[in-house]
Amino acid sequence: MKSVRVVVVGAGVIGFSTAVCIAEALPFCSVTLLAEKFSPDTTSDGAAGILFAAQFPDIPLDKQRNWFKDSFDHLLAIAQSEHSPNAGVMLSSGWQIFKEVPANKKPFWSEFVIGFRSMTERELKRFPEHKFGQAFTTIKCECSSYLPWLEKRFRKAGGLVEQRKVNNIQELSNKYDIIVNCSGLGSKTLVGDTEVYPVRGQVLKVEAPWLQHFIRDGDGKTYIYPGIHCVTIGGTRQEDDWRLQVDEGDTKSILERCSRLEPSVGKAKVLSEWVGLRPSRRNPRVERELVQLQGRRVPVVHNYGHGGWGVTLAWGTALDALGLVRQCLHEMNLHAKL
Amino acid sequence: MRVAVIGAGVIGLSTAQSIYEQYHSIVSPLTIEVYADRFTPLTTSDGAAGFWQPYLYDKGNIQETKWNKETFDYLLSCLSSPESIKMGVFLQSGYNLCTEPVPDPSFKDIVLGFRQLTERELQMFPGYNYGWFNTALMVEGKTYLPWLMDWLQKRGVKFYHRKIDSFKELAETGADVIINCTGIRSGELQSDPELKPGRGQIVKVDAPWLKHWILTHNFTTGVYNSPYIIPGSRLVTVGGVFQLGNWSEQSNSTDHKKIWENACQLEPSLKHARIVEDWAGLRPVRSKVRLERETIPSGATAIEVIHNYGHGGFGLTIHRGCAQEAARLFGQIVEQKGKGPKARL
Repeated sequence: MKSVRVVVVGAGVIGFSTAVCIAEALPFCSVTLLAEKFSPDTTSDGAAGILFAAQFPDIPLDKQRNWFKDSFDHLLAIAQSEHSPNAGVMLSSGWQIFKEVPANKKPFWSEFVIGFRSMTERELKRFPEHKFGQAFTTIKCECSSYLPWLEKRFRKAGGLVEQRKVNNIQELSNKYDIIVNCSGLGSKTLVGDTEVYPVRGQVLKVEAPWLQHFIRDGDGKTYIYPGIHCVTIGGTRQEDDWRLQVDEGDTKSILERCSRLEPSVGKAKVLSEWVGLRPSRRNPRVERELVQLQGRRVPVVHNYGHGGWGVTLAWGTALDALGLVRQCLHEMNLHAKL
Repeated sequence: MRVAVIGAGVIGLSTAQSIYEQYHSIVSPLTIEVYADRFTPLTTSDGAAGFWQPYLYDKGNIQETKWNKETFDYLLSCLSSPESIKMGVFLQSGYNLCTEPVPDPSFKDIVLGFRQLTERELQMFPGYNYGWFNTALMVEGKTYLPWLMDWLQKRGVKFYHRKIDSFKELAETGADVIINCTGIRSGELQSDPELKPGRGQIVKVDAPWLKHWILTHNFTTGVYNSPYIIPGSRLVTVGGVFQLGNWSEQSNSTDHKKIWENACQLEPSLKHARIVEDWAGLRPVRSKVRLERETIPSGATAIEVIHNYGHGGFGLTIHRGCAQEAARLFGQIVEQKGKGPKARL
């Protein structure tokens, strides 16, 4: 039987998650992953990787719930297994605190994380500027370990990896039957999506091994995420800002804001700084289309635009994308029979 | 007045601290000396994981629950100070696991965010079907003891590396009050059949992906004889041995094997942890903490002793409450001897 040639563009958490889903579920497909940048140079690598969701305006809530649940359950199984340290996936407990009581005290993802509850009075006492908070246990998925781990899984399932910058989707039309686009911010040029825009984020990695809990301000701009080897503190949310250089003003602001939440952070040694551009969009684009490429109609499955929620939604959207690939295959089969 | 503290574990050092804090401006001069043959990092307090948690039930010993609470509240208040890192004090959350429903523990209102475990959490620990989650404190001996010694040294407290063979020995050199914080070896100064070693052995490993403590409870085998995994600021303490009456301070391979196998079953990822070292220590076990005055007749005079020992496996957990109480007892002696402010009239 002739093998169906699938290409996945992008080697960030979305690309590799999608590639693994397809390679493991569809052994009769030959899956190749193409990307210009690989770990540790992807946007995913610098992200703290704490599982946490926002609500997108135009995607049915049920679908968003499934995305989150599927991702969480998948990573929870890894965190609970012996693979935890190699995959860079661990459990993390902590608090999300709000200066003003939020309208929605129980967000849609609250039933999917572990032990979600409101903080007690005594717990809030540690944060005098904040009036309300939520305590729960979630997952931290460190892509600098997780991506190489996924790559191993991908290759084991027969996947091929190639380092190459794809400038135009036209380049792929001859060699592949199905194109899966996980190029994040790159979709702006690769498929001409004007709705994709960067939201610049700067973080510091500090040495503070006494910190065991995450602390996040509900506004999403100030957070402390203890990881396996260091603590990621941040951040910034600068829309349409393409700068990849570290901004000293941001560094100062991050240290100041985080120290207000957790004074001991001020005493931590700064190990490194990093800037990433969240591939943002009003809603993530997880859908398929047929594209006219060099005289052929080639099915393209899109899976990009996850903004700051890539790690959080990677597996769930990858499964969704796999479903779309199956639909493409189904149509190709029908077509072949005609 | 001259105060001689015997013992430089967490009990000895914190008692010296409390006495200084409460009386250095009331009694003048106040000379405090600490005598010990073992100092940090070689004390029992140094080897312990440093996890604040009393035994599940105080068996009516409400005094001890009060001292535990006092210690927790004190350490919690230290968190907001920049000193907290140097003290080795930080928050950590985790799981207490049981194989059957049991009454809530005595510390439920002392710790932060105490709650029952959810179904999903119990599924994470096969073999356990009941338990609690809460946020508690860590106070790591290897950091806390040096901090205490530094605190005391800065305030003129002197340290003597010497084994004391009798209370009389110190009384004869002019000590007005002797504070007995000799832990498991108190029996060498004064026979106490109630004091027994509760030998523990632990394995210290490098497993920085673990951020929660996990304690299991087996009411048949008894406290600490069931696996526990307690991450620290640098290493993870893995244990689960409590051998009453065993005086060996050497770690042995039989205990190591049992501890390790049980812990790996509880937490499979430990398989990849780098083992750093083994350690064994003797918990100074007693039916209850001995925290009381004793006036020992000695010829024409009397030796004033304050006993503060027998804290079992909860020395770090209860230390501050006991130290404050010992200081209060010291205050009684100050009054009696007329050395307090009234003496100035």
